[in-house]
Amino acid sequence: MLTARRRVVAMAVALTGSLLLASCSDSDSGSSEDGKTLKLWHYEAPNSAMGQAWNEAIKEFKAKHPGVKVEFEAKGFEQIQKTAPMVLNSSDAPDVMEYNKGNATAGLLSKQGLLTDLSAEATKRGWDKKLTPSVRTTSMYDAQGVMGSGKWYGVPNYAEYTMVFYNKDLFAKYKIAEPKTFDELTAAMDTFVQNKVTPLANSGAEYPAQQYLYQLALSKADRAWVDSYELYKGKTDFHDTAWTYAADTFADWVKKGYIGKTSNSAKAEDAGVSFIQGKSPILFSGSWWYGRFVDEAKFDWGTFLWPDSNLTLGSGGNLWVVPKGAKNKKLAYDFIDITMSKKIQNLLGNKGGVPVAADVSAISDPKSKALIDNFNALSQRDGLAFYPDWPVPGYYDVLVSETQKLIAGSGKPDGYLDALQEAYDKGAPKQ
Amino acid sequence: MTITVERGVTGKKTQAGPPRRPRDSYALFLLPGVLAFLAVIVVPFLMNTGVSFTDWQGVGSPGWTGLANYRELMDDSEFWASFRHSLFMVVAMAALPTAVGLVLAAALFDYVGKHFGSKTVAVLRACFYLPQVLPIAVAGIVWSWILAPTDGSLNELLKAIGLSSWQQDWLGDPDIALYSVMGVMVWVQIGFPLVVFMAGLQRVDPLLHEAAELDGAGWWSRFWHITLPQIRPEIYVVLTWCTIAALKVFGAVYVLTKGGPGGATNVPSYFSFTTFFEKTQVGYGAAISTVLTVIILALSLIGLKLQTRAEEGDGS
Repeated sequence: MLTARRRVVAMAVALTGSLLLASCSDSDSGSSEDGKTLKLWHYEAPNSAMGQAWNEAIKEFKAKHPGVKVEFEAKGFEQIQKTAPMVLNSSDAPDVMEYNKGNATAGLLSKQGLLTDLSAEATKRGWDKKLTPSVRTTSMYDAQGVMGSGKWYGVPNYAEYTMVFYNKDLFAKYKIAEPKTFDELTAAMDTFVQNKVTPLANSGAEYPAQQYLYQLALSKADRAWVDSYELYKGKTDFHDTAWTYAADTFADWVKKGYIGKTSNSAKAEDAGVSFIQGKSPILFSGSWWYGRFVDEAKFDWGTFLWPDSNLTLGSGGNLWVVPKGAKNKKLAYDFIDITMSKKIQNLLGNKGGVPVAADVSAISDPKSKALIDNFNALSQRDGLAFYPDWPVPGYYDVLVSETQKLIAGSGKPDGYLDALQEAYDKGAPKQ
Repeated sequence: MTITVERGVTGKKTQAGPPRRPRDSYALFLLPGVLAFLAVIVVPFLMNTGVSFTDWQGVGSPGWTGLANYRELMDDSEFWASFRHSLFMVVAMAALPTAVGLVLAAALFDYVGKHFGSKTVAVLRACFYLPQVLPIAVAGIVWSWILAPTDGSLNELLKAIGLSSWQQDWLGDPDIALYSVMGVMVWVQIGFPLVVFMAGLQRVDPLLHEAAELDGAGWWSRFWHITLPQIRPEIYVVLTWCTIAALKVFGAVYVLTKGGPGGATNVPSYFSFTTFFEKTQVGYGAAISTVLTVIILALSLIGLKLQTRAEEGDGS
């Protein structure tokens, strides 16, 4: 017969064993489709163009699938970004989820076997015909998780690209015409500095600073350069002409006062607000700001593409992905299909987004029309060059950290390029 | 003091009072705590240590790499820089709050309490303790507004009092950012030692102070020769506790600077976090956190040892 002490020890061993087993076992139990619930996650703000379009898509889905419950959960970008691999590897995975595109994100998940291959659905439902090749690049990933070829693991329903937003009122105040060339842009910035106005809205703590830098490099680059950097189709040398020009020019811009040193700790939001408040006359950033500026900027503003550059930052937007462990994949495909419909795409366009399959004649708002026309021009000339943080997991932090050193003046362009090279070589797939 | 043990004529202990329960029955009361400790501390730590010997990316099959992560860690300048920053955080979260907390506690106890009453002391103590109650995310966001380079309250204040030349990009200048975060952490931490020391001061025999006062000892002399030695156990507790908190500080760095600018405020826990979740190098991140845990454990044991020695010294 067990003594009390032995009973206690036996219970402890049994419970600890169960805990260990539970913690080590594969939590992805999986189950067959019940067709009764669609579990959906996305991270678009409800008042953004995408948020409004996806809400309409949910209504449409419910109308077409009576009896199916849509369990929508609004998530944060960072929340999904940081926890996606863990969540998708568990039984809590949703049926369809918005996820960031690129090698270091959707590519990494596809390589890890966490996403469903959508190739058959893309052909069957015609998504492959609706997306132009440059937009489709971020949908497809090879076995190494490199975008541009292989199987379909995601579907973007919108696109995004960067442009120069400028405050027409401030330009008029200092008698500056809209810059048509890069020289005119720098001349305009000189005029602002002479009038004690910091021309560029910037944020060192988040993406805007690295996007200025990447755009400067792109203005001296071509498609082969982008393919080498983003798709590993060649050796990337950070001391080449384009990167060297970008780092030197950026450091020079800080010295000249085009970029304020006090922007080093600023967030992207601060850069946007600085433009909205009329403090900085120029912001180079993405189309995701467009709808907000329409709503909030109280002055006359306009946009133009970065002058003297064929390439700019941009791509298909974030992706709809279907986790490998999704319980209702058929419903997920139906939902994606609805977001690709003309009705939802046109709504997206009229709300200030950049649709990928809209009927352009149905876009009535003139500002939205201009936005889409610019995108179409870029897309047709194969001008989307993706984003600088895509090639390597964790590269975003490296870029933020190193660019902050340039802004602060504690890092020199040469050291900056060395640091980028080291992190890139360490993280990029070995060729 | 000696303890007398009653013994019977046979030399065996006599049974006095109610019969004692068998020792085993007490073990049952310990069981929930032991199980929770195993489940929440021991098992995850062992699993984390196991993962640190692999190249795991968080999903899929981990590949055994032996000590490779630890070898890489030894040569990782970013890791060592983050540890150097940790030492600064120990100053900000343990050394300075302990020193300032001691002086403030003694001042509140000896001066404010005597001249303004216990209610005033209670209010001031609560005010100093308030940052400890605030979630660090809230405090961090408020401080990021205060320290903002343009329109931040601190810079505006400096401008208003004619000290414009002192204005800084408090969180954006790599030469200043770490000190700014340290300043915020001093503000956050100070309430904890203050409250502990005030509780400690309550048990100091007032006769000691009165006798010293009659002998002509001033405030500082009494503080140095009576107050400090009397509350030595509390000082050890506070120093140990706050040093551990400083070594694992994360929230403030995440909210205020995200380790920037240019890694100037990176600390091991944040470095481990980004390695885990940004770079998805889970094996390497596990190695960082294992090293961090071992260091914290070693420091805790040293702190406890010192505390025990101090208490034994007091008792002798």
